Amino acid sequence: MKHADRIIHLITRLAQWGTGLSFALLIAAVLLQVAGRLTGLAPVWTEELTRYALLFTVAFGAGLAFRSGDLVNVDVVCESLPGRAPWVLRLISAIASAGLALYLLPHAWRYVSIGKMQTSPALGVRMDFIHATVWLMLVFMAIFAALRVLGMVTGAEDGKPVKTDEDI
Amino acid sequence: MEVTVLFLVFVGGLVLGIPVAVTLGLSSLSYLLLAGLPPVVMPQKMYAGMDVFVLLSIPGFILAGNLMNRGGITNRIIRFANSLVGWIKGGLGLTNIAASMLFGGITGTAVADAASIGGVMIPGMKKAGYPADFSAAITAASSTVGPIIPPSVPMIIVGALSGISVGQMFLAGAIPGILMGVAMMVTAYLISTRRNFPRQEWQGFGEVARSFGGAFWALAMTFLIIYGLLSGLATPTETAVVASVYAFLVGAFIYRELPIAKLPGILVESATSAAGILALVGFANVFGWILVSERIPQAIADGVLSLTDNRILVILLINLLLLFVGMFMETIAALIILFVPLLSLAQAVGIEPLHFATFAVLNLMIGLTTPPVGVCLFVCAGIARLPLAPVVVAILPFLLTNIVVLLLVSYIPALATWLPSLLTK
Repeated sequence: MKHADRIIHLITRLAQWGTGLSFALLIAAVLLQVAGRLTGLAPVWTEELTRYALLFTVAFGAGLAFRSGDLVNVDVVCESLPGRAPWVLRLISAIASAGLALYLLPHAWRYVSIGKMQTSPALGVRMDFIHATVWLMLVFMAIFAALRVLGMVTGAEDGKPVKTDEDI
Repeated sequence: MEVTVLFLVFVGGLVLGIPVAVTLGLSSLSYLLLAGLPPVVMPQKMYAGMDVFVLLSIPGFILAGNLMNRGGITNRIIRFANSLVGWIKGGLGLTNIAASMLFGGITGTAVADAASIGGVMIPGMKKAGYPADFSAAITAASSTVGPIIPPSVPMIIVGALSGISVGQMFLAGAIPGILMGVAMMVTAYLISTRRNFPRQEWQGFGEVARSFGGAFWALAMTFLIIYGLLSGLATPTETAVVASVYAFLVGAFIYRELPIAKLPGILVESATSAAGILALVGFANVFGWILVSERIPQAIADGVLSLTDNRILVILLINLLLLFVGMFMETIAALIILFVPLLSLAQAVGIEPLHFATFAVLNLMIGLTTPPVGVCLFVCAGIARLPLAPVVVAILPFLLTNIVVLLLVSYIPALATWLPSLLTK
């Protein structure tokens, strides 16, 4: 159990670092753009970098958003049901989320490989690296949803959203 | 058949409490599989939905709001609002509404407003002798002003969906937002007079000036944002990021209530909220693409127009539909799914897109305070430690007030379009 906790902790930290760093990169790119505008030395690639930084923010953050309920749960009615029903519905919800993400993974990979032949206009980055954000987003969603299913089945958690600020 | 399954899975997912983003994904996937389309369409459309220029500003505005929120603005704004209207009958209720209006200029989400202002005002109002249900209701109702007064996350989403300029959208919300706030203040005043709620002593212009001095740096952010957007000097994304830097500097060095050690946590939390919204937008883009390729927007427009092409009736029908949907569905999800179909209907009867967008957002905000899925209602009832039922009863007069404002904005386009039109002249 201790090992499982450690792995979950590591994955969560990885997602948090990825989300935070991508967002920091987005902020830095925008500030560079603003500074460039003021000095008249604006590089052409900042807008593209900002867009890609946002995509990576989503890639790392979507799993955390699933975990914290930020994927928008309309669960008020479900939570007010009697007995074990809310628990069962939370389990179904986690299974559905994990199932969708897992099913889409190979298809997302196909989409990634389509980008192999293209490069981005300003930065010259291979587009499969950028298309990979959709795949990565699904990977993190699948992991966090599967961990919730596992946690609920083993009794380690009740399947309720975990607020991000509680574990940073 | 495929479309029926699309909607059945969608409604089924929502009823089971599956996250909206996942529900949109599941329903779209079932459609694709039944229609024999390759599932690779899904990641492709998700990517296209998320890689939209205007959406880049969402994490910045969320971060700016969170930084301001943790940087000690709540008490300063409440003190300033209280110095302005606290002396009127039912003063703390009016303070609550005024604070929400000022706060609305800093954060773009209603729930943040309900939680921050409610956390201070609901216990404060209870202590001063106001009934707990009234205190919770007024906080919930007034928090919905937040996303009408700029900046506003729902309006950025509308910008992304329709191509309307975010600056124009923000400006279109200003008069309706102020109108909503003032109308709620009148309602609060009338209730307070009837129920003899307390008022405070007028504390003099000295206190107004002092409290304004305290709140100045926070309030200046609203103007920084509006100026940045309207002057054409900065894009929405640049404005949002500069506002975040400004909020950090004010919280850490002027108010000195934002510990720098908290910064990474706030950064990740804001980015996670934004990632949730963006993922929702991505999945919804697949759903939206299916609706468009099945010509559902056209079918809705044709269906309604075959019943009536009377502009007044069409506006009424759109509002009734959005109010109904807003009762059950989260604002952003409702916007993503319904905005484009209803926009084609609105344009068919000659409603300007900017006007339509303004009353559609205002309408969906009202849904945040209606049962069974009114998020702000739950937040405020939770803070007041009340069951939902008394808060629902207490919020009714404010709900009616907001519906009256909604009808005014729906039928008098100038309320939304006049300010932006000054800009384009």
